Amino acid sequence: MGGPDMALHTLQPSSRPGEAGALLDPNARSSKYAARLLEERRAAIAFVAPAVLTLAALTAGPALWVFWLSLRQRVPVFGIDRFAGFAHYAFLATDARFWSAFRVTAIFTVTSVALELLLGLGVALALRGQRAGRRSALGLLLLAWALPGVVTARLFEWLYHPAAGLVNVALGVRFNWLGDPALALLALILADVWRTMPFVALFCYARLLTIPHVVYEAAAVDGATRLATFRFVTLPLLVPVLLVTLLFRTLDALRAFDLMFVLTGGGPAGMTETLTVYAYRSLFQTLRLGFGSAIGVIVFALVMLVAAAYLTVLRRQESRA
Amino acid sequence: MINLEGSLGRGRGPGFDVMMLDVIWVPEFARAGWLLDLTPSLAPGELDAHFPAAAAAARWDGRVWALPWNFNVGLLYYRADLLARHGLTPPRTDTELARSVHVIQAAERDPKLDGYVWQGKQYEGLTCNALEALWASGTTLLGPAGEVLPDGARAEDALARLRGWIDRGISPPWVSAADEELTRRAFGDGRAIFLRNWFYAMDLFQEAGSPVRGKVGIAPLPQHVTGVPAPGSTGGSLLGVSRASRHPEAAVALARFLAGEIAQRVLAGGSVLPTRTALYSDPALVAKRPHMPAFHDLALAARPRPVTPAYLMLSTSLQPEVSAAVVGVKSPARAVADARRHLEYALSGIR
Repeated sequence: MGGPDMALHTLQPSSRPGEAGALLDPNARSSKYAARLLEERRAAIAFVAPAVLTLAALTAGPALWVFWLSLRQRVPVFGIDRFAGFAHYAFLATDARFWSAFRVTAIFTVTSVALELLLGLGVALALRGQRAGRRSALGLLLLAWALPGVVTARLFEWLYHPAAGLVNVALGVRFNWLGDPALALLALILADVWRTMPFVALFCYARLLTIPHVVYEAAAVDGATRLATFRFVTLPLLVPVLLVTLLFRTLDALRAFDLMFVLTGGGPAGMTETLTVYAYRSLFQTLRLGFGSAIGVIVFALVMLVAAAYLTVLRRQESRA
Repeated sequence: MINLEGSLGRGRGPGFDVMMLDVIWVPEFARAGWLLDLTPSLAPGELDAHFPAAAAAARWDGRVWALPWNFNVGLLYYRADLLARHGLTPPRTDTELARSVHVIQAAERDPKLDGYVWQGKQYEGLTCNALEALWASGTTLLGPAGEVLPDGARAEDALARLRGWIDRGISPPWVSAADEELTRRAFGDGRAIFLRNWFYAMDLFQEAGSPVRGKVGIAPLPQHVTGVPAPGSTGGSLLGVSRASRHPEAAVALARFLAGEIAQRVLAGGSVLPTRTALYSDPALVAKRPHMPAFHDLALAARPRPVTPAYLMLSTSLQPEVSAAVVGVKSPARAVADARRHLEYALSGIR
């Protein structure tokens, strides 16, 4: 996805295919073409520069700034600002609360993303098989996904209410969903699945629509069962889109904040405190900018690592295709 | 906080002169340099008319930074009718409270009647309950030299006591997720025998149409250790003057007027409780709010939450650990050790 290369392609004068071919030929001997190449390269750099600079200003700059902050002891309310080295990281390395937040984040991410993928895929397949009311089904799906996170959270606050909540009434139980340390995280995961499963479903559904019918006809001619068709035709064709959704969803889940912030505040007993909630509490509630930034940097590193891992897999998929 | 750092911290005029501050904020605002030092503007002994715990929240670093305005104290509410029906007197100790709960629950046979409800949710209210538990166990959050949880054994005892209420069935498990309003409603609907809450709840219990109207008694919090007092923690608000005020004299005069006896008497006719001791025996007010004399003694014995600029850091670091102990996912010893580590690190950062 090299920016300059792509820009170069778009700059090709498509009306003169002969010249364009020469332009891309690494052995182009003509100095005229070489000069032209250089010129176009310059133009390409000029064209991508705004994007690169904007990204640098909006992403790389703040990221470096936060890293620098994380090396400082900084409490602006009290006028404290001094170098602390890696003291915050050293504290966090043996901090039970940090490792608990790490564990919560990991469990939340793996479980919610896995459930969303499975359910989303199922819903997409069901939608394709559905004859009537597809449009309204899609609209209803979108509704859940389009709700602001805080609204979803408030909705679930009532659904999970120990005495008056629909969940307990429907199940005929009296669970204290959000107050019980054994249940709270599960309750949050289920709320997140409800909210973001449609995202996966829509992506998969869109891909399913583009699979040509002939492929299925060929499979039918070969005498493939429905299961075999799914296993050897549908699923392989869905893998690229599944990987992309997986990437989006994992990165989102790693940064999960709104549901736990509204529904449990990280409690009970920190059982639903994710890394971002911990960072927020340190950063904004008590304005310990250095300490909070250290947690932020760790979340950032985590997200980068996961993104890099996924991108490697995606590239491998693409080159195989 | 962030907005204030933006508007007060940079020396720009914030657009306001007098601010109402919750008790916990005064030292932090003072250290941040946002409050005008009121010491030179006050008459000697001006704060003596207020309850000591209310005045303590106004002072920091030997100066006065705000004026006490209204007050709240943690106390024990009990169902006087239920106690009387079963021949019980208001409990003074943990043992008596536990016995009352057992006797009443066994006799009433109402599965919806809970015993002792208090605030165990992970929030500021939990800090108040935890502080009261620490005091009742004979220790404090901060020692005289600022050391964190100076008596580990007693601190563990305090957390074990909170968890014990639930384990022993004296308190329902839902208190671990309860705040003031949730517990007040449970008690106010007649679904609990004992409640730890603030002064303000009494007016609501005595409202027309309240199911517990005329059935509620008040008492000090139960004693845990013989001979160790169990004071309630204090809440309420104070009035401070912005250091960026363009009219400091007028602002100080307004704050002094509002914190004065005339204004506090007017406010006490509504739903606010005054910080001035004399008003609790004021005939006109007592006629309207008959429970005020009883509040007086509780307010006199009350203790403020630690008066330190680091209060918010201490409280937010303490809450998850106490909550973990209350819910039972950490042993009291583990919770105290983790709390001490966090609090010490937070404090080391602002020294």
